[in-house]
Amino acid sequence: MKKIMTGIISLALLLNLTGCGNSSNKTAAEAPKELVVVDWGGNYTDVSKKSRYEPFEKKYNVKIKIVSPTDYGKFKAMVQSGNVEWDAVNVDADFAIRGAKDNLFEKLDYNVIKTDGVDKKFISEYGIGSETFAVAISYNTDTFTESNHPKTWSDVWDTKKFPGARSFQKFAEGTLEAALLADGVEPAKLFPLDIDRAFASLDKIKPSVKSWWTAGAQAPQLLASGELTVAAAWSGRVLAAKTQGSPENVEYNQALIYADSWVVAKGSPNKDLAMKFINFCTTAETQAEFSKLVDYAPTNAKALPLLSEELKKRLGQSTSSATQIVADVQWWADNYEAVDERFQKWLLK
Amino acid sequence: MQHEYSKTNEVVHNKNVPFSNKFKKILDPKWIMILLPIAFILITTFIPMVNLFKLSVVDENGFTMKYLSQVFTQKIYLQVIFLTLKIALLVTLSCLVLSYPISYFIVKLKSPKLKKVILQLIMIPFWISLLVRSFSWIVILQDQGVINSILKSLGLINKPIPLLFNTTGVLIGMTHVLLPYMILNVYSTMEGIDRNLVQVAQGMGAKPTRAFWEMFFPLSVPGILSGSMLVFILALGYFITPSLLGGAKDMTISMLIQNNISNTLNWSLASALALVLFLITLLLLGGLLFLMRNHPALKED
Repeated sequence: MKKIMTGIISLALLLNLTGCGNSSNKTAAEAPKELVVVDWGGNYTDVSKKSRYEPFEKKYNVKIKIVSPTDYGKFKAMVQSGNVEWDAVNVDADFAIRGAKDNLFEKLDYNVIKTDGVDKKFISEYGIGSETFAVAISYNTDTFTESNHPKTWSDVWDTKKFPGARSFQKFAEGTLEAALLADGVEPAKLFPLDIDRAFASLDKIKPSVKSWWTAGAQAPQLLASGELTVAAAWSGRVLAAKTQGSPENVEYNQALIYADSWVVAKGSPNKDLAMKFINFCTTAETQAEFSKLVDYAPTNAKALPLLSEELKKRLGQSTSSATQIVADVQWWADNYEAVDERFQKWLLK
Repeated sequence: MQHEYSKTNEVVHNKNVPFSNKFKKILDPKWIMILLPIAFILITTFIPMVNLFKLSVVDENGFTMKYLSQVFTQKIYLQVIFLTLKIALLVTLSCLVLSYPISYFIVKLKSPKLKKVILQLIMIPFWISLLVRSFSWIVILQDQGVINSILKSLGLINKPIPLLFNTTGVLIGMTHVLLPYMILNVYSTMEGIDRNLVQVAQGMGAKPTRAFWEMFFPLSVPGILSGSMLVFILALGYFITPSLLGGAKDMTISMLIQNNISNTLNWSLASALALVLFLITLLLLGGLLFLMRNHPALKED
């Protein structure tokens, strides 16, 4: 009896296995292709869905699987173990250069990706700028008004005139630039960064820095609750909170501009489709749609005429008194490790 | 079944039986059922660990000691290790101080139903994600948070007490998360102590306090030890809670490891830090067990 039962069970299992093997054939022709896109999560993903992913899915009959947030450690582990699951990945622009040294990316196919309209600053062998974001002076509007609020980084360092707790990102990029500008360095002479001077300047503000934020949502949340009066935060997040009624606002003067870039993971299973996707996201129309939904500026200058005057002003793209400083991504890619180590040490002092 | 086990046992331990016979007995399916899972666990735990630690002495250029020496010579890393140990120790002590009275109280309860209810209440935090709990503490402890608002409206304080973004916040958050582990350990040991012993001591003329300290407390020490070890080791590895609730100075070694894995991608340094953490943990545990090797609590009856 036992032998018969064992025989029946093993036969059933065998049939199951062969059954699995055949199912893929019949649906291959009609099934949409799959593409894995990695981005930063939260509001960024919601906005990207409406302006980039869903239009792309419809146009090319593709199913996009979104993974977030971008984790560089995971990225490296995936590529090194040869088990790559990601296709198009949105990363910091300096990582698009740093990661190339670790051999993490495929070369972008510029036959597929059209770059007319995109500033050369945002184009590199392995990455192309997707949008620019600003690390800007953000303040609580219950404490400071439209006329009386910190307008420069020196104002942020002036704790007598603008009292209250500050917060900066626990990240050297952006924080050092702000410290140098606060110390009086001219924007045109900012890079290469004078690191010693930056840390000396940071020493002055350190007692007032209540928290060092690591997640994009932290600074807007603490500004909204009044825990902080001033912060260096991502403009898009603060403005998103503002439209939902939070008492906070952004000052674009002396905002530090960084870019995010699209890269393709080395060994990606859908490399060609990823190139098509990146091309789609670089077109003026897609970039304009994206900027309409969130206050990040396009990297394709041809997208600007498609935006309203009011929006352009909000993005700081029109000529106004606000001066913004574009960060030198190459300098950061070369110096990131050494500066970060010093930054971690400085935090512990 | 019992009979067969003791037969195998006798055969295996009997020096006069030749080895090949002993071997045949071990190949008996009962033993394989235990050996296979154990081998699986050993292989899937130790091989990845060894690969990880290998990274600390190997980088693109081959064998190098520079990462390990970096950890031991640069002040920042020793500072961070010391801080991590300090926080873990403080958390263990505060958990211990809080959980002992609670466990004792539960043990003293007469109704078993009430005991079950309280134990369930203690377990509820386990159902809630760690991130949610840490963020909730931010809402409670911040300057405009629940505690400070209440104290301010009662007129007890003028300026808000800094309970967040410093070591205090980290301690409160971590104690809250690790308390159930300690309570369960201490409680289960206490529950097993024969209550009659305390009565006997009192019957012999000891005052209640003395009866407690000399009879009950020493018997509860195994629970204290196992609970403390568990909480201490868990606390060493925490990085989300210190990262969210602490200030710039509250940098634990896990936060540094995480930074090196995800941001600088300097995996060799991260591995060196992880190896040092692992060795320190082994040393502390080994040291503790060695010191207590003659303690009656560790001798099994």
